[in-house]
Parts: sequence; C-alpha cells; structure tokens
Amino acid sequence: MAEKNKSLTVFKSDRHEDVAAIIFSGLVVVVVLTYMAFIVPSVKIKPTQDGKLVQLFVSEGSMVKNGDKLYSLEVVKKKWVNNQMEEKMAVETFTAKTNGKVLKVSGTPGDKVKKGKETLVVLDHEKGTLP
Amino acid sequence: MENKSLFGKTLAIIPGLAVMVGTLYVLRVYVEPWMKDAVVFGSKGWLVQVLSLNYILLSIITGMIYRNILFGGKIPGWAEEGFRTTRLFIKSGVIMLGSLYTFDKLLKVGGIAITLIVSFVFGTAIFIMWLGKKLNADRSVTATMAAAAGVCGVSACVATAPGVRAKPVDVALSVATILGFGIMTMFISPFIGKALSLSDYQFGAWVGTGILNSGQVLATCLAFNPVFAPGTAVAYGEIWNVVRVVCIPFVVFFITAWYWKSEASAEKLGLGSILASKFPIFVLGFIGMTALSSAHVLGAEGSETLHLLRNVMAWVFGIGLVGLGAYIDIREIKAAGGVPLRIGLIAGVVKYILALIIILTLIPKEGAF
Repeated sequence: MAEKNKSLTVFKSDRHEDVAAIIFSGLVVVVVLTYMAFIVPSVKIKPTQDGKLVQLFVSEGSMVKNGDKLYSLEVVKKKWVNNQMEEKMAVETFTAKTNGKVLKVSGTPGDKVKKGKETLVVLDHEKGTLP
Repeated sequence: MENKSLFGKTLAIIPGLAVMVGTLYVLRVYVEPWMKDAVVFGSKGWLVQVLSLNYILLSIITGMIYRNILFGGKIPGWAEEGFRTTRLFIKSGVIMLGSLYTFDKLLKVGGIAITLIVSFVFGTAIFIMWLGKKLNADRSVTATMAAAAGVCGVSACVATAPGVRAKPVDVALSVATILGFGIMTMFISPFIGKALSLSDYQFGAWVGTGILNSGQVLATCLAFNPVFAPGTAVAYGEIWNVVRVVCIPFVVFFITAWYWKSEASAEKLGLGSILASKFPIFVLGFIGMTALSSAHVLGAEGSETLHLLRNVMAWVFGIGLVGLGAYIDIREIKAAGGVPLRIGLIAGVVKYILALIIILTLIPKEGAF
C-alpha cells in the first residue's frame, strides 16, 4: 500500500500532494495576473474566431476605455436549437477589456482572418488592469 | 529518497520532469502543427480531423512509448522522481479548470451532474458486488474493483484497499483493468461522439459519467474538442469529474461497510474519519478558482489574460498527461486476467453503454452555458 502510494506521488501523502497542487495552481495564477497587469509592455489582440473583418473602430494613437468597440467580424455562429445544429452568419463586435492607448492597427475591412493568427490591434493598456 | 534533503529531492525531480516538459514542447510546437498540415489519403489534416489526434492524445501515447518500449517496461531510476509529479500537474490543471466557470453556471448543470454521477457511482459499485458474488470472486478484489470501476479509478481503489484488507495484487489487478478499459474508451469515444453527432454538453456528460480516471476524462474531452473555454466538452466533462471525485470518501465508506458485514475482525472506521482522511481537498482549490472567476478577478471572458491563463493550463495538463501515459504498463494490463478482469470489463462496458443511452435520452444537445 505504502509502496503503491510512493509509486504515484513524490509527496509524503495524497493530502500533501493536494495542498501542493492548490499552492502551485495559485502561484501560476498570481504569476499570470501580475505579468499581464504590470509587466507585459503591450497586448496583441488577435481574432478569437475565424471570420471576415467587417470594421475597425479604432485608429493608431486613439485612447480606448473598457467596453469600447475595437473591431467586428463576420463569423459563422453554430448553435444547437431543438437538437438541431443551426449555422448562421452573424456580425460579432469585440470590445476592449481595459483602458489603454492603441499603438497599432492592422487589417482592412474584407480581410479574412484566422483565429489566433493575425494581430488586429496592439494596445498599451493601463498598468494594474487586466487586458 | 526518504533520507535526502529538500534540495536533493528537488534535484532528483529535474531529469524526469525535463523529459515530460521537453516531450510536450516538441509535440505542441512541432508535431501538432505538422499534423494539421500533413496530407494523408489525399486529405489535409486527416490525422487531426479523422483520428482526433492532438497534443493531448499524443502526450499520453508518447508517455506509453517511453515506458513500454524505450524504458523497457519500467521508468528508470534517474527519471522516476520527475514522473512522480504527474498527479501534481493533473490536479493543478483540474484546479485551474475552475476558472472556466462561475457559480451560476455550475448550479445550472450541478443538479443533473450530481443525480447522474451518484446513481452511476453507487449503481456500479452495487452491480460489481452482486457480480463478484455470482462469480465467486474474492471479496477484497471485488471491493477494490467496485471502488475502481465505480468512482475514480486509481485514487478510490488505493483509498479503499486498507479497509477491505486488499493485497497489493488486488489493487494492481483492479487498477490495470480499469486503466486498460480507460485507454480503449479514450481512443474510441471521440469517434462515437462524432458519429452520433453529440454536442459538447452531451459528450462531456457521457465521458464524465462513463470513463473512470480524471486524466482520461479530460484527455477524451479534449480529443473531441481541443478548446479550453466555457461551453466546450472539457468544461462540461470536468463538472461531472469533480462531482465524481467528491464521491470518493462516501464510496470508500459504502464499500468498506459492505466488506465489514461478513468480516467481524476487520477494522471499522466511521464515515467522519474516512471523510477527514480521504476527502480530496484539491477540489477546494477548484471551488476557490471558480470563486475568483465568479468575482471577475481573473479577467473578462475573451480577454488576453484569460487566453494566457488557459494556454498555461493546457501546458500544465499536457505535462501531466505525458506522465499519465508513462504510468500505463502494458505488461500489467496483459497480466490482469481471470474473474477480476471479467468483473471489471463487464461493469465498465455496462456503465459506458448505459451512460450513453441515458445521455442520449435525457440530456439535450443545447448546452446549459
């Protein structure tokens, strides 16, 4: 039994391992939040879905506030309705999650964009906030 | 190992951990992108789209190759301590998955998850006890198999063993049987899910109910849909998984109470003491993470902060899954046989199919969030 436990964990017991997992995941979260709030110099905002760029609402040098529109995409929305998959084209608008200054804008309306590939907006966010 | 200093222990972890991290790096940065573009049978991305191969399944397969081919069946001493951090990474990943939910989302599906899981966990345990009696199996191995197939694979089996006086071979047989069954279901479930056009909600609920090991549930969900986000298979599957993990102490008590009935000299423990010693407290970390998410401390949905956090979560899981693969010993699975294997396989298959039928009948395709 003790041998079995020893073969599965590097800690004294499962309980120690559980506590270590809580501490480790807490540390990871703290590091990520600190990095994003205070250390990262600017944030590259990339499309969260594949689609076609419809409009860019900001220009280089402009200031944005939390909730301001950044860009809109024409995307295929998939949704289960009455146990049937419905697909329809929709225009989704994406907003700023924090205050900041727009450093760079890329792309023109009509461009096809891939999820996580092209950078659409580079934002210098207000330090201490989570972009 | 026990005589080493903390520094020595930490140092001993590094080689094995470096292998796990390095493996995942190669798989995520080089192999997975190559597979997405590779043309097989005239179809681009066939390996990913048809075989559902992604870095998650590749991590487990590579871990299995390390142990069973490269290391000749046993993790070598120089890498052993590093590979023992496997569960630390999987548990940490489970805790971080709490960031996918808010309490109102958990409440939306919590009732269904609790009803299904409690029915299946105790139903499987009772079925195995009945089957064990029918097939004249040893009561100790029946008890460990009931724990392994009923609730949460390795953890429940190991937790039940002392109370039912199980021998190491009973634990090994039970673990080998359910891990072998889990590997099989891990690879076939995404195909079945796609063939039946299951939604992420249905797939997560089915896999969370029918598969027995936390790492395997998550890997199967991510093979079906590799996205870490609210409303995906992994988000639903994990709710089922957490409910199941919380059941461990109750099932341990239930099974040991069944064992005590005919063993007058067995050591008898109360539910309170089992709860105190066996409750998987890392679940509290999961709830804590959900509390942070509910309070919007982790960043807004769609923010780059959450995107980075989920990317880190994927790495944490991936490292754990390379280790999980390396703990799958094909020889142990081959060695499992006889009545215990029959009991475990019958119970596993019944649970897996019954869960699918119930999900198809009762769970709508529309996700709760």
